[in-house]
Amino acid sequence: MDGRKTSNWWTVWGLLILAWAAFPLIWMVSLSFKSPDTFRTSSGFWPKDWTWDNYSTVFRDELFTSALRNSAGIAVIATLLSVIIAMFAAYAIARLEFRGKKLLLSMALAIAMFPQAALVGPLFNMWRGLGIYDTWIGLIIPYLTFALPLSIWTMSAFFRQIPWEMEQAAQVDGATPWQAFRKVIVPLAAPGVFTTAILTFFFCWNEFLLATSLTSTDRARTVPAALSFFTGASQFESPVTAIMAASVVVTIPVVVLVLLFQRRIVAGLTSGAVKG
Amino acid sequence: MAEITLKHIVKRYGDGFPAVNDVSLDIADGEFMILVGPSGCGKSTLLRMIVGLEDITSGDLLIGGQRVNDKAPRDRNLAMVFQNYALYPHLSVYENIAFPLRLRKNMSDDEIREKVEKAAEMLELTEHLDRKPSNLSGGQRQRVAMGRAIVRDADAFLFDEPLSNLDAKLRGQMRTEILRMQRRLGITTVYVTHDQTEAMTLGDRVALLRKGELQQVASPRELYEQPVNMFVAGFIGSPPMNFVPARMDGARMELPFVSFEVPDQLREPIGDREWVIVGIRPERFEDVALMDSDKLGRGVEFEGKVDVVEWLGNEQYAYLPYDMPQISSEGMQEIESDLGGETMQPQLVVALDPASRLDDGSTAKIWFDPTRLHVFDVATGENLTVAVPATT
Repeated sequence: MDGRKTSNWWTVWGLLILAWAAFPLIWMVSLSFKSPDTFRTSSGFWPKDWTWDNYSTVFRDELFTSALRNSAGIAVIATLLSVIIAMFAAYAIARLEFRGKKLLLSMALAIAMFPQAALVGPLFNMWRGLGIYDTWIGLIIPYLTFALPLSIWTMSAFFRQIPWEMEQAAQVDGATPWQAFRKVIVPLAAPGVFTTAILTFFFCWNEFLLATSLTSTDRARTVPAALSFFTGASQFESPVTAIMAASVVVTIPVVVLVLLFQRRIVAGLTSGAVKG
Repeated sequence: MAEITLKHIVKRYGDGFPAVNDVSLDIADGEFMILVGPSGCGKSTLLRMIVGLEDITSGDLLIGGQRVNDKAPRDRNLAMVFQNYALYPHLSVYENIAFPLRLRKNMSDDEIREKVEKAAEMLELTEHLDRKPSNLSGGQRQRVAMGRAIVRDADAFLFDEPLSNLDAKLRGQMRTEILRMQRRLGITTVYVTHDQTEAMTLGDRVALLRKGELQQVASPRELYEQPVNMFVAGFIGSPPMNFVPARMDGARMELPFVSFEVPDQLREPIGDREWVIVGIRPERFEDVALMDSDKLGRGVEFEGKVDVVEWLGNEQYAYLPYDMPQISSEGMQEIESDLGGETMQPQLVVALDPASRLDDGSTAKIWFDPTRLHVFDVATGENLTVAVPATT
């Protein structure tokens, strides 16, 4: 009986946490479906008249659609680059002995811990000097810098879990080191690569500080930055419901990605590789 | 097909300690060679140097007469079965076996299929070809690992303790299968194990290593009957050989529990030593109660108190404690620790016929033939009763 009692407790506890975490999201969704004119005056958590107006407003707004394009482009490019670079770096760290390995790892960690706010001012000046202020590349470079250390750390952890014998077996079977890496290590490390890629993507997708500081126009402004410049359909309208609709739109890819790759991330592909 | 020749092979790690020290070994074409020894003796390192996964510090490694020290593993054309099998978990059984073939540019899919199916049939894996390694039993995984080696037409097979992850029954079965496969393919094989049953049953010849040094290379029978030193004698055989300190008193030899006239053939090897170590295999003892007087006269009998008896059905082991005189030397202590500290026990292990009615606590009359003794030097552990020198 004791066992059941504790498991009941866990259920209650879990529901509490879920409610706490989900409440802002649900509120956001609810607001996004309310009419911008009446949401302040009408009572009740759920909208009385569900409306898609806010969504059509944001998608008609060039500010938002171009920000969406920027966000997607910058996040995808930064993620791809970061994953590719981190994959090779992590493999080297996990498998090869070379001088300064410890130093490299601790430097990477130090960079990951570096306060981004301290960089905003210098970057702003440098980027203007270099002429990459308010461009995609101007955001991709700092995103790479901040995403790489963590990517390298997580991926080298994944690489270390792959039994080294796997690779040696491939070499004995006639594979070049590159073939062994591509045909054995990469497929086995896929869950790790996906995890890292998704985390990096979220980081780039959600980043706000650099996005507001290093952009000034539609050319490179990403969604989190653009949201703060949002107005309603007309300047007399409160932008709150429209912002909520925009927030829902940018949340969707995150949710979809997590649901899509959740099993991939969790499933241990290496089970059954060794022993019996 | 190729012979493998090791010339003064040395492996030194960063700390300068030689993991493998000056090992020379000729493995003939088609021979089944076993590398055996206690853990840490360098047998796996030696195998990994042959396959190319470890660098050779000094010495020459020749495969088919060609020096391959500096060749990458993929250029040595050797097939290896790893202790953990090292199957590729993301590939099916079929793709696992086909993996080495796919790496060759010049092989068509049809050729690959033919080879894989032939190997699968030989290993009874045909119905499992579509499965992933994680869905296979230990024995099946072992077979897949062997299949991956077979399809290659490699010059030699290398096995690194391939059966150590299987349970006892399966191990016996797979052992026979490996032997049958090797005989059928007639391919040079180097097999690393710490299990002396595998060593004795599989090998054409067995190379016994201790602390990176080759002790003896010989057929299993020779290794058992003519061990060159105490280490070999103590390692091979189960239960292990009894080692008993003996004092020479003129023409007599005094063991702690019996003394007897030194047989003629032992006199010269013993020389003027005062102390020696006598080695007697457990099965050399017999229960006097079961013997005819004819044979009895040709040996020595003594009385001892039986501590415990282990009855195994086809034979039984009796343990007879005795008082150990205090002699020890550095060499002996070293051998002792290498063998796990069980070499010099103050008790005799006696293998008896199952018909023997000796019981725990009873007083036994035991017989042995002094001409069948091994005599070892106290300081070096060298077998004085073997004429053959230690090196091959």
